[in-house]
Amino acid sequence: MSCRDVLNVVRAAAQGGAGRPRPGGQAVVRQACAAALAATTLAVLSGCVTATVQEVREAGTGISADEAIVVLGRKHKTRGETETGFVDCVSRQVSGEDLGVMSEQAFVDATFPWFEPRTAPLDVRDLAEVIAHPLLAERIREIGVRYLVWIEGSTVRSSETGTVNCTMVSGGIPACFGFLSWENDSNYEASVWDVEHGIHVGRLSSEAVGTSFIPALVVPIPIIARVRQSACKALSEQLRAFLSSEA
Amino acid sequence: MPTPLVEPLPIAVGLRFDDTMRQYVHEEDLDTFGKFRIELGSTQVPVFERVFAALFERIEVVDSVETPAASVDAIIAPSVEELQFSIPGQTRSGFFEVWIKYKIDVYHPSGELLGSWPLPAYGKSNSQNLGFMDGGQSQGLNDATIWALRDAAAHVAFYFPIAPEIKALAAAVEAAEASG
Repeated sequence: MSCRDVLNVVRAAAQGGAGRPRPGGQAVVRQACAAALAATTLAVLSGCVTATVQEVREAGTGISADEAIVVLGRKHKTRGETETGFVDCVSRQVSGEDLGVMSEQAFVDATFPWFEPRTAPLDVRDLAEVIAHPLLAERIREIGVRYLVWIEGSTVRSSETGTVNCTMVSGGIPACFGFLSWENDSNYEASVWDVEHGIHVGRLSSEAVGTSFIPALVVPIPIIARVRQSACKALSEQLRAFLSSEA
Repeated sequence: MPTPLVEPLPIAVGLRFDDTMRQYVHEEDLDTFGKFRIELGSTQVPVFERVFAALFERIEVVDSVETPAASVDAIIAPSVEELQFSIPGQTRSGFFEVWIKYKIDVYHPSGELLGSWPLPAYGKSNSQNLGFMDGGQSQGLNDATIWALRDAAAHVAFYFPIAPEIKALAAAVEAAEASG
């Protein structure tokens, strides 16, 4: 049974529990038990997520033990800024014994004011010009950063259907009924720049779509699709492979 | 605030901070969104001191723009002209945003105005970066204000040394030192 099949089963159970006329006491109990069983099963599952990554390589890569990378979020746009959490997630997941990662904040502090939203280079031509500045070139050599990874994109809620209504039933016990689902879309692109040579070495993109849902038969059970985390994991794995392999 | 990575100009400057730099407070009642208060005064003076200390060979804080007795080549007098902000509830953008309009005047120690620059600064804070326990609106506005101060510092560090009046002043000081 696929993730989407499970979703349909639960949606049907929740809608039946909430809206259909009740045939009789025994039937109601059986229905409630079935729904509770389904809900319990789903509680150990997360929502459905599909993630895809793409890669375009423009030059060879490779990194030595004394070099590091830094992952930066694009902040020059007024809207659609990449979430700090995503940048931190990629930094964490890419980091390993064989690949040093400098934190975004440590890098922009060490190079202040050259990589602020107002002053950061927007393309490779700007980067080549910026890193040619003797003070900055020396600082980058000191901190050992070889590659800059610029990430653009965000995660948005693209659609939402259904409702969950909660009320007090007899005895003052709260109870919720209904079915709520929504879809999140993650769309991120990482541009990789070689600081040593001042060139653009490639571009990777990660897209993830996932449906989260909350079936509620007395107790609401949120089943959340970890869309942003999936996009982060897929992009990080691709980025590690991209940086450590030659063209 | 990190120290800017810049080559210092061979100029000694006096810094004069007026009341807007030392005590600026912005209070605004946004009706259904509540009342807001942003205190700039206590934070911005050290930021500007640090930036100008990196930009120039020597700085000293002076009380007036007319200080002929001071051993400096120019007096720099920043001031706050205006502050505006918005919260996600107003713009539906998910961002806290702060705009600060500074003005930087440069005086000869005799008190003559040599030049005046508008310095717009902008900072934003993504509400999605704030956790459940992060204090909501006050934390968001505080973060946006810090980013605006950082933007002002970046602007000064990046563009002030290449302003024609400052370049001319540096050239004049260097020429005077070379001639004896």
